[in-house]
Amino acid sequence: MANVLVFAETRNGEIRKVALEAVTAARKLADATGGGEVHAVLAGPPGIGEKAPLLGTYGADVVLVSESADFARFARESLAATMAERARSGGYRAVVLGFSAQGRDLGPRVAARLDAPIATDVIDLSAAGDTITVKHPAYANKVIMTLAISGSPVVISVRPSAFTAVQAPKAARVDTLVPVAAQGATVTVVDVKEGAKGRPDLGEASIIVSGGRGLKAPENFKLVEALADAFGNAAVGATRAVTDDGWRPHSDQIGQTGRQVSPDLYVALGISGAIQHLAGMRTSRTIVAINKDKEAPIFKVADYGIVGDVIEILPVLTAAVKAAREGH
Amino acid sequence: MTAGNIVFLFILIVAVGFFSLNVQRLVSYLQIGHPDARTGHPFTRLRNVFEIGIAQKKIFRDPVAGPMHALIFWGFMVLTAGTLEILIAGVYPAFSFEALLPKTIYTVYSASQDMFAVVVLAAVSFALYRRMVLHPRRLDGDDLEHTDALIILSMIAGLMITLLLSNAFMLAAFPQAMGPEKVVSHQLGSAFAHMMDPRTALARYHIFWWAHALLILAFLNYLPYSKHLHVITSLINVYFSNTSGPGVKGAMRSMDLEADVESFGASDVEQLSWKNLLDGYSCTECGRCTAACPANITGKLLSPRKIVINTRQRLMEKAPVMTGDRMDFMRPALSHGVESYEAATSDEVLGHRLLDSYITEEELWACTSCRACVVECPVSIDQLDIINEMRRNLVLTESRFPAELQPVFESLERNGSPWAFSAADRAGWTEGLDIPTMAQMRERGEKPDILFWVGCMGSFDDRAKKITVAFAHILRACGINFAILGQEEACHGDPARRMGNEYLYQILAKNTIETLDRYEVTTIVTHCPHCFHQMGNELPQFGGNYEVIHHSTYIERLLQDARVPLRSAEGQKLTVAYHDSCYLGRYNDVYDAPRQAMKRALPVIELIEAPRTKDRGLCCGAGGGRMFMEENTGKRINAERTEELLATGAAALAVACPFCMTMLTDGVKANGSEVPVYDISEIVAGQLQA
Amino acid sequence: MKIAVCMKRTPDSESRFKIAASSTAIDETGLKFDMDDFAGYAVEAALQLNEKAGGGETVVYAVGPDNVQETLRKAMSMGVDRAVHLKADAVPVDGIAVAKALAAELKTGGYDLILFGKHAFDSSAGVVGTATAELLGLPCITAASQLSVDGGTGSARRELEGAAEILSFPLPAVVTIDEGVARPRYPSLKGIMAAKKKPMETKPAQLGSARVTIQKMELPPERPAGRIIGEGSAAVPELVKLLQNEAKVL
Ligand code: SF4
Ligand code: SF4
Repeated sequence: MANVLVFAETRNGEIRKVALEAVTAARKLADATGGGEVHAVLAGPPGIGEKAPLLGTYGADVVLVSESADFARFARESLAATMAERARSGGYRAVVLGFSAQGRDLGPRVAARLDAPIATDVIDLSAAGDTITVKHPAYANKVIMTLAISGSPVVISVRPSAFTAVQAPKAARVDTLVPVAAQGATVTVVDVKEGAKGRPDLGEASIIVSGGRGLKAPENFKLVEALADAFGNAAVGATRAVTDDGWRPHSDQIGQTGRQVSPDLYVALGISGAIQHLAGMRTSRTIVAINKDKEAPIFKVADYGIVGDVIEILPVLTAAVKAAREGH
Repeated sequence: MTAGNIVFLFILIVAVGFFSLNVQRLVSYLQIGHPDARTGHPFTRLRNVFEIGIAQKKIFRDPVAGPMHALIFWGFMVLTAGTLEILIAGVYPAFSFEALLPKTIYTVYSASQDMFAVVVLAAVSFALYRRMVLHPRRLDGDDLEHTDALIILSMIAGLMITLLLSNAFMLAAFPQAMGPEKVVSHQLGSAFAHMMDPRTALARYHIFWWAHALLILAFLNYLPYSKHLHVITSLINVYFSNTSGPGVKGAMRSMDLEADVESFGASDVEQLSWKNLLDGYSCTECGRCTAACPANITGKLLSPRKIVINTRQRLMEKAPVMTGDRMDFMRPALSHGVESYEAATSDEVLGHRLLDSYITEEELWACTSCRACVVECPVSIDQLDIINEMRRNLVLTESRFPAELQPVFESLERNGSPWAFSAADRAGWTEGLDIPTMAQMRERGEKPDILFWVGCMGSFDDRAKKITVAFAHILRACGINFAILGQEEACHGDPARRMGNEYLYQILAKNTIETLDRYEVTTIVTHCPHCFHQMGNELPQFGGNYEVIHHSTYIERLLQDARVPLRSAEGQKLTVAYHDSCYLGRYNDVYDAPRQAMKRALPVIELIEAPRTKDRGLCCGAGGGRMFMEENTGKRINAERTEELLATGAAALAVACPFCMTMLTDGVKANGSEVPVYDISEIVAGQLQA
Repeated sequence: MKIAVCMKRTPDSESRFKIAASSTAIDETGLKFDMDDFAGYAVEAALQLNEKAGGGETVVYAVGPDNVQETLRKAMSMGVDRAVHLKADAVPVDGIAVAKALAAELKTGGYDLILFGKHAFDSSAGVVGTATAELLGLPCITAASQLSVDGGTGSARRELEGAAEILSFPLPAVVTIDEGVARPRYPSLKGIMAAKKKPMETKPAQLGSARVTIQKMELPPERPAGRIIGEGSAAVPELVKLLQNEAKVL
């Protein structure tokens, strides 16, 4: 029976959703390896300890609160040292993190420090004997690898949203974990620019809303923008016909001659789906198309299609998306 | 010999000597270009000289300037004989062709001199009027210099006037001096005879004889300093040109990529061939090419005339430095238009180059390789060849090209298609059609009669796939034993070649040949004119020899042989405007087959022609890799072309190329029109019996 | 500056993948392999940094069988000065094992900057770069979307979910490169010719023991065929429901 250490990621003084998912995954792993405890490291600026009970709600047995002014920002070296040190001294079977911007960086650091094997971006895990087995989508999600990891401890980072955080309320014991200072040269966080100022880049957005000539006039892109706002942090793209006509800047163009994107959700509005456009967005995870011509090639690649006038449908869709997200 | 004769002999020697030094110099400039064998097929070359040069076939494409120029040209040809006679007689007064020629022939010759002097004078006057009063548009632009043309035209007029007047004054003095066949001179002569005594007339004769003779020599020596150098070089240029054969029209030349050179393609004149440079000498700046250029028409920077003029200008700037020209003190003014470069030191001269200093990247990438300029040029200049060589330099040496092309090159390299689609999806269109691949047939121990080469558009583009299916239906209905390559088909590299990436092209071309030879393919049909041109006309450069037939021709043959099971055509008359594909038309002279095929399959069709049609058809804008590039300057070419086609009032547009299909479909959409665009195979397939 | 770039050779991302009979690898027949996309960004970033600095040396490293030499040559055709091939029968899926081989090699290289792609397309793990930095004891930026160097100090930007960090770090350092940094140049034929004459050193890779192994590879379940869920705005509620419950993107 061995315990599992979790990195409970925070930002701006809040525990992130992916931290709760990591706790759930860790719980699953602890159960699979003989029912040990889940210890969550809650690192953040002074005062972060108040959030500890939330981790208990999701099944952490112990919350190790590590408060430091440095942890107000992502102090990578110090966080890695703190995690590694604790993992070593605590004799854990595994260290679990989220495969988020923070976990992507921290995972390999901790693994290297511990000389432990690591599996990243994991969507499922199990254990048998001395071996932990994980599923990891590779080849840009085109292949699923099942990896066997031997040795102990192991480091595992889990893909955000792959594990649904489930409540398993526990009165978690809260302990203090003394931060370990970074050794040697370090990276300095000069500034953190919060988003929402402007839209995310097309290459990084997980949702892209894109318009074509079916929108009929440049003014109608307001409707597209509105839908992007309704989705939260969506980027706005366009077809070549539209950027060629100057309705939208060239940097917005998606397609062979523009940007090639593969977001989680791609909404094609009034786009017929010329070869040039498909070449740039075909690999998106989910594609929605709204177009008046039901023969349009875009429907061949779309997961969900609505046939109809995009100008008429857009406001309805925007309202519905907004409602759905607020209902969350 | 009189003293006058001796003076004239002296002048003649100086004049001819100076002229020949200039000729030598111009020839030495050409020699800085790289070698290019242009001597084979003398009979084809002579035929070109006769048709394009002497019969002025291309000149006549312009209904106004055509006849005018032809008259001046023919007049010159005829009068050159007389000029020779005059020059010899200037030294040896007793000389006359009369003594050498049979009487009738001499009479005809003599009459022709008289008549053509008048004809040329009239034509030249019209030309002057046209330039100074009418200002035709194509003669403007590209910073052209106009005084040169006016000087030349005035000189010609002067030559004709002095010729006629010297003859007339001679006849005024001695009415028997020339035969009655010189009608005009006799008329003038008798008029003068009434006005003055014979002595005065004779004195005047001498004045005008000298004026005429000296003008001839002045004209001769002015030519090397004028754009009218074409008077001398055009016939030579037509002889050495390959634009109307010999060789394969429009085929790009192969490059030796293993050559140990610093630079590939051309960034300056010495990297062009001597023929490209001769083109520079021969350009008359008539602007026919630029007036036909789709890029120029729609407001892009490119002007094929400017490309040729720039080549000449740069040659004139650089060649003297390279050849150590001893006659540099009288440098030909052919570089006019780039004053800023004229006073450059030799270091500055070597610091310039044709690329960038004269011709910008933007101009080069605007070309659709439509060949309209080449077809239009009356002196068989190959503007496109220069553009292609310079594109090669941009890509192969400098890796400079529009950013949009990089994914195209990379996809070609990795996926064997200009679009990032997987080869595994190539045969997606066959679903439910049960079309065999070459591999499957081989496995069954069979061999098809023809290979249907589908092409990348036909395999991946949704609209073009319908063309593919339509053509497959026709082949099926006619019981043709055919197969496709399926997954094993991969781009032959033509787009890469057109975009200047000869390296990538040769890899793909050789792979294609390897695949085709593995299946012992002999006959190929395809509905893509680019594949058709590439595989039929350019793969032979690498040992790939196949009979390649475009589907329009193939369908037309099947229809002719009554092998296509057609429904009886009923319904109303359908007006169709057919758009010529450049690679089918201007590259391969296929104009009638697609038209005929439609008419045969659907006799109710009425074809209407757009004003620009057949070998004058306007490009759709997709060629030369333009399909893959942004079009940000000026009007869009496809919009210009579609508007023209829609203006015919046709109920449908027809094409025979998947690229034209995309461009026109977009054009129709942008126009807000609902007129359908069909491939000719779709029209035929629509008439198949159920 | 002396810059090292570590790269991987991976199959083209547009390919259709099939699983090999062994079921622990993909079927490589018909696949086109090339420099990994992110490694390409890293090579370009290195070349641009040195061009801007007006000199220096750029060296590429790759672990793998002989065919990686082709990829190393490609980097040299883009302008990299020389290449080091760390020979191994295969690249293990264990990122720490690979990081050990690279760290052992880079330790004595005297590099100001060591670049990696943020991850390789095939394994999609993103371990090697950051782990190598830790093994070398160098500061590291994981997945930089912007990068510049001024004297002995580097600056970078790194995307967080909905925000971005602006970072500064002392050299020498390790940076793994995300997409936005630089679009790789297309090698000219001149570059390809020149690359043939550039030095390529081959030595055995000192890989660590592999504790992560591939047990199985499989293709994800086929994406359900697309469907048209209705006409006009009446279909919107259904669409939103599907996005929430089936596609799980809302
Ligand atoms: S080939 Fe066509 S586009 Fe190119 S210069 Fe000539 S006329 Fe213009
Ligand atoms: S290249 Fe030919 S068509 Fe063009 S201006 Fe010169 S002579 Fe005229």
